[in-house]
Amino acid sequence: MKAKLILGAGLVLSAVSLMAQPVLAGKADDTLTWSTTREVDVAIPYYNNTREIVILGRHAWDNLLYRDPKTAEYKPLLATSYKWVDNVTLEFELRKDVKFHDGTTFDADDVVATFNHVSNPDNGVLTKRNVSWMKGATKLSQYKVQVNLNSPFPAALEYLSGPDAIFPAEIWATARKDAKGKMDYGTIAPIGTGPYKITEMIPGESVTMEINKDYMSGSPKGKPSIGKIIFRTVGDAEAQMAELLTGSMDWIWDIPKDKAESLKEMGAVTVVNAPTMRISYIAMDRADRAKGTPFKHKKVRLAVAHAIDRAAIARELVGGSSQVIHSACFPTQFGCTQDVPKYAYDPKLAKKLLTEAGYPDGFEIDIHAYRQREFTEAVIGYLKKIGIKANLKFLQYKALRGKVWEGKAPFHQMTWGSFSVNDVSAITSHFFKHGRDDYCRDDEIKKQLEIGDTNTDPKIRKAAYKKALIGVQENVCWLPMFTYTKNYGYSKDLDFTPTSDEIPRFFTAKWK
Amino acid sequence: MTVNTSKLPDPATILEPSPTQLLTRRAFGHTGLMIGGGILLIMLIMALFAPILAPFDPYDQDLAQRLIPPVWHDKGSWGHPLGTDNLGRDYITRIIYGARISLLIGFSAMLISGVLGTALGVAAGYFGGRVDMVITFLITTRLAMPVILVALAVVALLGSSLQIVIWVLGLLIWDRFAVVMRSATQQIRTMDYVTSARALGCSTLRIILSEILPNVANALIVVATLEVAHAVLLEAALSFLGLGVQPPEPSWGLMISEGKSHMFFKPWVIAIPGTAIFLLVLAINLLGDGIRDVTAPENRN
Amino acid sequence: MLIYSLKRFGVAILVTFAVSVITFVLLHASGDPAMAMAGEGATQEDIEYVREHFGFNRPMLVQYIDWFVRALQGDFGISIYLKIPVAEVIAAKAPITAILGASALTFALLISIPLGVLAAMKPNTIFDRIALTIAVIGQAMPTFWFALLMMIFFGITLRILPVSGNTTWQHFVMPSIALGYYAMPAIMRLTRAGMIEVLSSDYIRTARAKGLRPRTVLFKHALRNAIIPVVSLSAVQLGFMLGGSIIIETIFSLKGLGNLAWQSIQRSDFDVMQALVLSIAMFYILLTYLADLLNAFLDPRIRVS
Repeated sequence: MKAKLILGAGLVLSAVSLMAQPVLAGKADDTLTWSTTREVDVAIPYYNNTREIVILGRHAWDNLLYRDPKTAEYKPLLATSYKWVDNVTLEFELRKDVKFHDGTTFDADDVVATFNHVSNPDNGVLTKRNVSWMKGATKLSQYKVQVNLNSPFPAALEYLSGPDAIFPAEIWATARKDAKGKMDYGTIAPIGTGPYKITEMIPGESVTMEINKDYMSGSPKGKPSIGKIIFRTVGDAEAQMAELLTGSMDWIWDIPKDKAESLKEMGAVTVVNAPTMRISYIAMDRADRAKGTPFKHKKVRLAVAHAIDRAAIARELVGGSSQVIHSACFPTQFGCTQDVPKYAYDPKLAKKLLTEAGYPDGFEIDIHAYRQREFTEAVIGYLKKIGIKANLKFLQYKALRGKVWEGKAPFHQMTWGSFSVNDVSAITSHFFKHGRDDYCRDDEIKKQLEIGDTNTDPKIRKAAYKKALIGVQENVCWLPMFTYTKNYGYSKDLDFTPTSDEIPRFFTAKWK
Repeated sequence: MTVNTSKLPDPATILEPSPTQLLTRRAFGHTGLMIGGGILLIMLIMALFAPILAPFDPYDQDLAQRLIPPVWHDKGSWGHPLGTDNLGRDYITRIIYGARISLLIGFSAMLISGVLGTALGVAAGYFGGRVDMVITFLITTRLAMPVILVALAVVALLGSSLQIVIWVLGLLIWDRFAVVMRSATQQIRTMDYVTSARALGCSTLRIILSEILPNVANALIVVATLEVAHAVLLEAALSFLGLGVQPPEPSWGLMISEGKSHMFFKPWVIAIPGTAIFLLVLAINLLGDGIRDVTAPENRN
Repeated sequence: MLIYSLKRFGVAILVTFAVSVITFVLLHASGDPAMAMAGEGATQEDIEYVREHFGFNRPMLVQYIDWFVRALQGDFGISIYLKIPVAEVIAAKAPITAILGASALTFALLISIPLGVLAAMKPNTIFDRIALTIAVIGQAMPTFWFALLMMIFFGITLRILPVSGNTTWQHFVMPSIALGYYAMPAIMRLTRAGMIEVLSSDYIRTARAKGLRPRTVLFKHALRNAIIPVVSLSAVQLGFMLGGSIIIETIFSLKGLGNLAWQSIQRSDFDVMQALVLSIAMFYILLTYLADLLNAFLDPRIRVS
């Protein structure tokens, strides 16, 4: 019997060692492994707006323009030059030496096909804001294109240098059909012109990129240096941290304040804190989309605004350079102002307002969240003090986004990174023009935002945006919370510089 | 276990100890039973008198007082004997209130599963035949279903709350009650007093309630303790995975889940609530083992 | 024996069927597969379309029969999230869980059988006490907590074992211990009880009286008989372990069936959940069936009754 047991154990061990493969990570293997807790399923940036894909997108694809993270200057990337023909027409001369990862040559047809595809609302690009300003593109010659705008849109260059990447012209036709018989463009092959090629994608687990040896020379993105970049989902933040400490992971971020401090003290890895454009907010159902929640009463919304000590959360939980914000935008964005009605932390006033609204004993409500559970738990704690019993519904981002769009999340704490676009049109206009994220639905706010979005005069834009931002705060339907900061932790072998737009540029990273 | 001291013992009992006295004597001589009972008693007191015993409000957060270490740590103080959590809530207070949740869920789930399992088990054992066949089949089916997986799936789809957790656990863990009650009833149903009761024309329900149940009571108590422990562990696991008791309730499993992000650098945030669960389950198990030993000493080992 | 095994096989099939019905009803009564399938951001119309198109508006019985017929042909549906056939997903993840289960059971047996034997040979001594203490502690320790404590100690303090993933055999050490630990007390208690019974039996006494060496008596005669119930208990424990793997695999990021189950639960991936519960149940049923047969083979009394 014992012999059999030993035999069994031996079998198991040999089976295990059969599957053993060397763990790829670090300088020695020229492989940078990075990780977040989120899963990635669709690798096509227009059809997936999670941050991980925004990041991977900048590595595998190129844009017509590139915004230098240091100088904020727009430089031609797939173009050699660009100019405004009038305020609804942009003209680009294209590079002639660019090849896609599959070997085909890049030219005007690709730009035209990509922009005509994404600007067509029927093709269902996920973040409409990124493409809705575009009417399409026209080919002038093999290496010259015009991008046409629907109406004057000053932030066009920002979008062209950020989310609006160029795909091969023929690729869209290769998409598979989904269960409903619609084309699912998320299924196309991930082929771009960028400094890295996506070589393997295991949905929900990992994405592997290899260096594009034929990457164009003289790109403002620079020449990539690291051979292989692997993104791996590690669902558990502790496991992630442990992997970083033990060397099987080279780069992680979103490390909570306390852990970052302890990690720094240990000194085994580089820990850096950098500001980001991401803000946290709480939306309340003023528009009564979920029907019959207490948030239709302005005094209830006001009570919530006064009940939460946002300064304490920013200082104690977020840490770093986090600051409280009072209006629905990131402070550095064009058009953003803090000159709006402000709501100080005042639990007594909050309780009084709640009583006046007809809820002397408070009420029970679900609060939805998807990111940094402890921040929302702190909010729940503050609400509890004035009698509101908020039940946390903590979901994956995509699941929550769906609920929000369906109008089923009357009270949610979420975050917004503006796709790193330094203009309020990427945030305020996204949320308050009666779209699916809008739980405010105020006509005056919408009107002002439309003025701001379509005017080219900075003064008029600023004035209109200010009116809109004041409107949001007067209606208290959206409580801006605080700005995020990011703690990065990475291998001491890695030469890496964080940027405030939350897009790690691994193509500029090197091994020391 | 209660001893009646007000009555004077009659001479016969002085010579020959009564069964109760024997039981009591054995109980007090049983170390495991005493330790288990003692810890459980403390936990019960904690749960019942939480508002009096706890130094703070379990929900009262103070972000300026976050993650204070417990008193035995260099930086600890008696202000917060077990320190504070991630949101600056007093840890000992939350541990004390947490006993309420664990015990409430443990006992409620046990009661539900106990009623269900005992009814099925006694019916199977008493009636035998087809009834027995069907119920045995149900038990086998239930045993084949992975408890945690099914509980998680159902709770995830239904949404989690205290009631849902109690019902889901209660409806899942009745198998052991049914198995034990079935065989205990089988043994008893052929005994003289049952046969004579049946001969006297007592109704089936009455026989079960007055003859069968009192005689399977010992086995029932032992299974009941095991199932309380089982339910406590399951609740902790569900809450740990975020599908059990929801924040800000002070469930021990949830406290481990919340403390997890600090465990590498501040291990006490998970060590303390984990120890609480461990002690409670240990106490209940010791109590169960002890009761079995004491009531049926011949069945030791 | 043949009749007995056929009869038991029939019961096993019926139980499998019952599990599939119960799981189907439970899942479909608790949630809405049409909503899950339509995905995030779907409008009411989309959901209605899916409900209509995939027949979720039909009576549950019809839906079940539909599922059952397809399942019989090996078609367990398509994962909503991964968009791959469920059977493929499960087949891809099963080896990892199989290795985890086997090594966890091996660990449990390697510790608990020697301890149980020692405790039985020297009852009421220090060995017995140690064995008993391990049993009592093992049953009271929350698995996930034990796993976290190991992670802190071996992963971070000592840094000798990796804490997440499943690329090398070292990755399986902690998960196997965490999962196997919970099965130890039961196996040990049974070994101990079995050994005590066997050691006091007549034939062992006879063997001893014949002057056979104590070691021969112990291993060749006593252990062999005492271990029979342990084998069937181990089968049952292995079945339980598969259920418990959901927590362990989630904590240690092992990408096996448990992890798949947890992710499918979070994604409301109905067909995967249904197939997973069913396959774990089937595995358990198979194990207990084999254990029953083994018992019947070794103990003729069972066959007759």
